[in-house]
Amino acid sequence: MLKIFQRLWQVNWAEQWQYRANLIMYLLYGLVSPVVYLSVWRAVANSQNTVKGLTAADFAAYYLTLVIVDKLTQEITIHIFAYKVQDGTLSDDLLRPTHPLLTNGLMYNIAFKVLTLIALAPIWVVLFLAFRPDFSHVTAANLSLATLAVLGGFAINFLLGAIITCIAFWTTRVYSISEFIYAFALLLGGTFVPLDLLPVAVQNVARFLPFQLFIYFPIQLILGRLTPDQIRMDFILQAVWFGLALLAFGWIWRAGLKRYSAVGA
Amino acid sequence: MKHVFKLIAAYLKVNLQQAAAYRADTTFSIVMNLFWLVWELISLQVIFSNTSSLSGWGLGELIALLGVWRLANMFMYSIVWPNTERFNTSIRDGSFDYNLLQPVNSQLLVSISRVVVWRVWEIVLAAILIGVGVSMSRSIATFSNLVSFLVLALSGMAVLYSLWIVLIAFTFWFVKFDNNVTILDALMSAGRFPATVYPPWLRIIVTFVIPIAIATTVPLQGLRGDLAWWQVLVFLGIGVAALFISSRIWRAGIRKYSSASS
Amino acid sequence: MVGQTQKQAPIQVENLSKTYQVAEREGGFTSALRGFFKRTYKDVRAVQEVNFQIGQGEVVGFIGPNGAGKTTTLKMLSGLLHPSGGKVQVLGFTPWDRRPEYLRAMTLVMGQRNRLSWDIPAADSFLLNQAIYRISDADYRQTLKELDELLGLAPITRKPVRNLSLGERMKCELAAALLHRPRVLFLDEPTIGLDISAQARIRSFLQEYNRRTGATILLTSHYMADVTALCERIIIIHHGRLKYDGGLSELSRQIAPFKIIGVDLATYAHADLRAYGTEVPNPSGDGKCLVQVPAEQVAAITARILAEMPVLDLTVEDPPIEDVIERAFQEKVD
Repeated sequence: MLKIFQRLWQVNWAEQWQYRANLIMYLLYGLVSPVVYLSVWRAVANSQNTVKGLTAADFAAYYLTLVIVDKLTQEITIHIFAYKVQDGTLSDDLLRPTHPLLTNGLMYNIAFKVLTLIALAPIWVVLFLAFRPDFSHVTAANLSLATLAVLGGFAINFLLGAIITCIAFWTTRVYSISEFIYAFALLLGGTFVPLDLLPVAVQNVARFLPFQLFIYFPIQLILGRLTPDQIRMDFILQAVWFGLALLAFGWIWRAGLKRYSAVGA
Repeated sequence: MKHVFKLIAAYLKVNLQQAAAYRADTTFSIVMNLFWLVWELISLQVIFSNTSSLSGWGLGELIALLGVWRLANMFMYSIVWPNTERFNTSIRDGSFDYNLLQPVNSQLLVSISRVVVWRVWEIVLAAILIGVGVSMSRSIATFSNLVSFLVLALSGMAVLYSLWIVLIAFTFWFVKFDNNVTILDALMSAGRFPATVYPPWLRIIVTFVIPIAIATTVPLQGLRGDLAWWQVLVFLGIGVAALFISSRIWRAGIRKYSSASS
Repeated sequence: MVGQTQKQAPIQVENLSKTYQVAEREGGFTSALRGFFKRTYKDVRAVQEVNFQIGQGEVVGFIGPNGAGKTTTLKMLSGLLHPSGGKVQVLGFTPWDRRPEYLRAMTLVMGQRNRLSWDIPAADSFLLNQAIYRISDADYRQTLKELDELLGLAPITRKPVRNLSLGERMKCELAAALLHRPRVLFLDEPTIGLDISAQARIRSFLQEYNRRTGATILLTSHYMADVTALCERIIIIHHGRLKYDGGLSELSRQIAPFKIIGVDLATYAHADLRAYGTEVPNPSGDGKCLVQVPAEQVAAITARILAEMPVLDLTVEDPPIEDVIERAFQEKVD
């Protein structure tokens, strides 16, 4: 079993190394929004000293951490699988004795992640120097806890992505639907703005949704801005959502396959 | 000249028919578009619930900017993306030769063969946003401001268009670089906020390197009456110069493609 | 092919050459690394000093093996490519100036590449062409009617192009290419990939079109059937050089000056015909024995066979044109 993952890693890494120019482009693409949002909030913070207790340097810390956490927990399964459902090449994957999404899909994501992080490193240093974030509350203990949070977050995000990808079994508009859900994640997960700045009612809803579990939660954990109670609560939520997502994925995958084989490749 | 209009009309008709054929997709796209508008407005609301002014810009002005930005965005999605895709495909499979065989300017053909026609309604949407934004900000929309705004908006679009032509012309020299236009799209999201909000280095990038700001912030400044008439003329000149330079680069690209010795 | 004065011939090609520079790259990591710093280039002479003229209304076949330079030559004649040397005049224009007047008077159809838009019915692409080529409504209707008659377009133009079969698509591509009634047609492998009946249909269409309009046609093809059916004159190009320019039958006479005698014998036993000439295998499986003899000895050898063997049936044929052309590729023809 381990051998399979090893091989898949090698193949995926080699494939993606070929497209590294595209990868740089994609990376830059993903950096524009955080830099833009950070600039906006810094402008606000600079004009009135703090925004709900956050200084410009605090915002810088948030978004710079966001850039890394986002890359660590992101998933791109839809881009590598949805088209296969549409043009029938999924059949090739189904002939293999391994689950296409849980093995190859997973390895593809991880290879992509590693490459992206390598490319990101120098750019991140530049951004660090440009925005001067305040990382004074980061502790080793929190960092190690955050590793768990990131793993859990990626697991949930990966499953969610897989579930959305399965919608491709029913409609070609799966990309739009994915975008639609992404819009919610942007707002309610903490990508656009730290959740503290949202209206309280919205915050209370966002707290229990899975989106913040792979964005806001790990970020704030690293920055030392969560109380022990909050940390515990969020880890429990991660476990719950992971379980739910796993069940939902199992169900939709089976239903989707049934439809795929009924409709014909 | 009459023939050019006839030609554009013919292409629009074809693309309209295509959109009509895929009615459900078109409706769905319109709905998604509206959804994103709501998201954009919500995000503005979140910002202004935490402050009353963003580097000297009020909520009304940002709503007007959103309208201007949506015009530029419409241009990207209705013309730039579809035609880029078609161009890249045609270079790859060799059917670009047919573009050169037709007795019509190849740059014109590349610019209009695909048009996502339903997006034209975004002009209406943008007008509404601008109208609402201006009335909210209580700045006087004088006639001369409106004229400046129109001139600057068109000029800004001309700059974006020219940049696009130059980016796709790169394919003639670097065949494998077909991800070229992504950089234009990537920086589009930076156009949603006034360039004055950004740190100086970012301001320079969005004004001079990938000049999104020329299509968004500058027209807004014209609308607000911030610019002197000679400044408006300078930007107009930039738009015209951009069109001229890009068409020259395109022609050079065609010469390279047909391996002219010069 | 009657005498055309130099001034009148619509296609005149003089010393045409095209040389490409291709970067050399061997495999391997060190070679790639070296190549990063210093590129070595190799000259590929795709077309070398080709000369010919084509008269009004001629249908000329342009043949050669893959990579011979046919497509490159056609591209230069249609203005898509600038030559490295030489002169070309088509209808009095220099093609690579790509003047609109020239582009409206000619057409290039490339067999494997699609001009028509994939998702819309061909009829709509035709309307686009009308706008592009500035065809008046009256001319457009008239031309479309004729093309419909000759090609049988009516049922297929309303379907999206992606739903058409290969043969139907080719018909529509040809129609779209001819809406503006060009005086010169360049066709690059127009029948490639089509089934036999579709090929025949296209061939008879081109013949009829040439007859009706007097258009000058230059076509390349891998299929001998195209060439033998349509072209009285062929130009053979190989390794970028012109090898032969003239009639098909003359070519036969020049480089394969023999005939094939096919004999149907009354015996079941295998007859030894080596005394009469070179035995040649018979791929058709009709039981005939084939003997290849020099053309000028046909009469004499035929008489001997009839006298000496129990002949049921005897035929005399030219060698298959494919073999002739194959030989032409290999030899230098004067």
